[in-house]
Amino acid sequence: MPLLSVENLTVGYNTKHGSLKAVDRVSFTLKEGESLGFVGESGCGKTTMGMALMGLLPPNGSVREGEILFEGTDLLKLSSEQMRQVRWSEIAMIFQAAMNALNPVQRVGAQVAEAMLVHDDLLKEEAALAKVEELFDLVGIPRDRMLDYPHQYSGGMKQRAIIAMALACNPKLIIADEPTTALDVIVQDQILEEMKQLQKEFNLSIIFISHDISIVADMCHDIGVMYAGQLVEYGPREAVFESPVHPYTKALLASFPTLTGEKTDLAPIPGETPNLVRPPAGCRFCDRCTKPGSTCKTEPPQWVAISEEHKALCCRCK
Amino acid sequence: MTNAEQKKQVEAPVRFPWLESFLEGWSIFKQNLLGKIGLSLLVMFALMALFSYLPPLINPMYNPMTGVDPNILGCTGPSLKHWLGTDFMGRDILSQLLAGARVAFMVGVSAAVMSIALGTAIGMTAGYLGKFTDTVLMRLADMIMVMPTLLVVLLLAAVFGQLNIWTIVLIIALFRWPGVSRIIRGQTLSLKQRPFVEAAKVAGASHMRIIFRHIMPNVLPLAFLFMTFRVTSAIITEAALAFLGFGDPGTVSWGMMLQWVWKTGNMFQAPYWLLPPGICISLITLSFYMLGRAMDEVLDPRLRKEDQTD
Amino acid sequence: MNPKNDQIVHIEDVCKIYKAKGSFFGTRKKDVVALDRVSLTIPRGEIFGLVGESGSGKTTLGRLLIGLEETSSGKMFLDGEEVTHLKGKELKRFRRKVQMIFQDPYQSLNPQRSVFDTVSEPLKIHKIGLGSDKYEKARQALQAVGLAPPEDFLHRYPHRLSGGQRQRVAIARAMILNPKFVIADEPTSMLDASISAQIFNILLKMRTDFDVTLLFITHSLAAARYLCDRIAVIYRGNLMEIGPGEEVIGNPIHPYTKALLDAIPKFGQKETVRRHGTLLVRERKGGNGVGCAFFSRCSVAEEGQCSMVKPVLSERGPGHRAACFF
Repeated sequence: MPLLSVENLTVGYNTKHGSLKAVDRVSFTLKEGESLGFVGESGCGKTTMGMALMGLLPPNGSVREGEILFEGTDLLKLSSEQMRQVRWSEIAMIFQAAMNALNPVQRVGAQVAEAMLVHDDLLKEEAALAKVEELFDLVGIPRDRMLDYPHQYSGGMKQRAIIAMALACNPKLIIADEPTTALDVIVQDQILEEMKQLQKEFNLSIIFISHDISIVADMCHDIGVMYAGQLVEYGPREAVFESPVHPYTKALLASFPTLTGEKTDLAPIPGETPNLVRPPAGCRFCDRCTKPGSTCKTEPPQWVAISEEHKALCCRCK
Repeated sequence: MTNAEQKKQVEAPVRFPWLESFLEGWSIFKQNLLGKIGLSLLVMFALMALFSYLPPLINPMYNPMTGVDPNILGCTGPSLKHWLGTDFMGRDILSQLLAGARVAFMVGVSAAVMSIALGTAIGMTAGYLGKFTDTVLMRLADMIMVMPTLLVVLLLAAVFGQLNIWTIVLIIALFRWPGVSRIIRGQTLSLKQRPFVEAAKVAGASHMRIIFRHIMPNVLPLAFLFMTFRVTSAIITEAALAFLGFGDPGTVSWGMMLQWVWKTGNMFQAPYWLLPPGICISLITLSFYMLGRAMDEVLDPRLRKEDQTD
Repeated sequence: MNPKNDQIVHIEDVCKIYKAKGSFFGTRKKDVVALDRVSLTIPRGEIFGLVGESGSGKTTLGRLLIGLEETSSGKMFLDGEEVTHLKGKELKRFRRKVQMIFQDPYQSLNPQRSVFDTVSEPLKIHKIGLGSDKYEKARQALQAVGLAPPEDFLHRYPHRLSGGQRQRVAIARAMILNPKFVIADEPTSMLDASISAQIFNILLKMRTDFDVTLLFITHSLAAARYLCDRIAVIYRGNLMEIGPGEEVIGNPIHPYTKALLDAIPKFGQKETVRRHGTLLVRERKGGNGVGCAFFSRCSVAEEGQCSMVKPVLSERGPGHRAACFF
């Protein structure tokens, strides 16, 4: 049985412009010990989806449809108290710009300990601090920095502290939303390597959310490409990156400059993302697609199975 | 981090940006109860001020300063001819109240405008030029800020005799600008670092141009907000001065009315004379305050970016 | 030394030091050396890439070149004239020749001014053209950056534009005076990949259509490879390597350049890509401003030479220089 199985997840927001579906019928599965990456540009709904999985949607957002089966239990049917117990001890999250979420007036070691104490009533403070020491060793922060304040840490160290916090209660699944965006390339590389090692050591499952395909390609077994709230392509890493099928995936890959290989012209994607309050009737990518089909504008696209594990939401791709 | 901006359906060019911002602000304002109450009260007072010209036209006996009812010699209660009664000289209280509204607006608004103009100019200069100018101006502001306005005015009155209402307005303005200037200076300092100001510098803009075209428009909303609070304090200061006997004896203000009630010993005998000006002072300051709070809410969302839905 | 005329930008031994504000009683913090004797030349029509991480000094160099900050020492030349310390009318003349595109499109446009106001402001400042001329020039500028039809955009305000559109307006503003030299300071780091690609292509087009010389400041070697003719790698205020784009990336010499190349994610290509392995896992003590700036993280560095003496840029191949003893 997969660790996480999401079916037709639909999340909506009520804004002053109207109600919009930030996530539209997204389905995927994640096995234990594996990682799944979600790639997409701003507005595609990937962060919303991450928040929905944790039950942390803002007040104007709500899950309209679907189910989130974590080890067989539908998280959407849990009460808020039950969900609170699941949170952090089973599923932990690394938020976007999490390094800024550290409390500037509390010592870092204490903050990590607090994450544990809040979720485990029986834990004593000394035991928690001992665990913090272990965690710091794991993530590569020298033990003597436990008593420092966040402003004394570098960007990379802060991010490592956040990872330590996420690991504190031994979760089975970590949702990492743009964990390395604010970091320099070299530090980013180190952190990603460490995350890969931690994953192997603890058999963690990771959902990795990013706008940077290159990172996701390096980290994840499976990839989901999101556009305008929908999952448009989904499959194993090699399949999606080496033989992309959906026009958006192809276009997205073509708009990243590469270090190796031939220097081809970057082909930007013309136009803008669609209005999610009044989404188009047919395919949402239609007006930016290089070769739209005859029915693409009026009929919503269907899932096409390219292989057993690789599928794309497109009418033309057969 | 880029926003997920919902593409506006209407792509028409915006020819009147002020109108659009105003309408948007109005719709936010409308939802604020405090603002609506405040605004309605202010409208009422404004009408009172406008109507203050009527009574003397109807009958010269209604003139707030000089009108004397031939049939009445002293304080009388409300009656058909004098809806709020008459004061110790037989002058109509209602027309005095209306005239007082006019004075309150005049004094309040002029003093506020002057102190805001002065405070904004000084704050922007200090913030923009920095270093020596900044230090000098801010120390000056500190010195003035700690001086008790009322006391100084009393001293001046004692030295120079009775003060003209416009002198009082000027003095209030001269003592009230420091508070504004600090806030404006802070805002200027942060604006100075913003890329669009640097971009103007890079394009070759002169200091004047940067201050007037780039900093001032972004600082004015804050200044206007402050104005509502300043009006309040100006009105109260004038009322206090008048009450203490240092106002302009030639103008009828609510504070003046209170002074007359007190001086003539009618405080407890003539509630119809005592209460109206007192209530008016309280209400007008309350309404400006409520307006200010509502405006705060209007101005804030516009400084925030639009909803993120990523 | 009088620089030749086809060298648009020439800087010699430029240093920028930020003095620490020491308190009378407290410990004196060290002065921060943002740039340490940087020299480089950019010929006409070239797109030059300056690549570095945060704290490398790349943005500081851009700000010195544009005149937003003053050099602590060294000389700068633009199109043959010395521009190190300019004031008054000369400064204003200088501003017509050099322009900048800022990093954050959400902050570099005045929210209270329309697109027309923003784009035509340089014309107003330098008193170019009459009223209707300004409108026409603004229209053409927007057309050139791909905001079409321009009339639709001229009256809009920034909050009605997307990030990519705002950055195009910023480019139009920079180009409207037809400057000789434009500095683009991380113009795409706040934009999505597909929008960044649009901006790159616009910059390339500007070079072709307007014969402008471009300094492209970035943290991405891949973007620099795509856009730039030559690339310089900067680390903690020192130029580490400089050369033709393909050379620096395909044939890196300096250990820091190699470390950067190792660190860039490679789209899941299996570990067939060889790692240079020049980065130390844990920093070591040493350097402290005396030797090579990269000493404390360099795995091939030698105690003694590398920690005591700062290497200078030396020729390694045609046009390819690196500051390393190896």
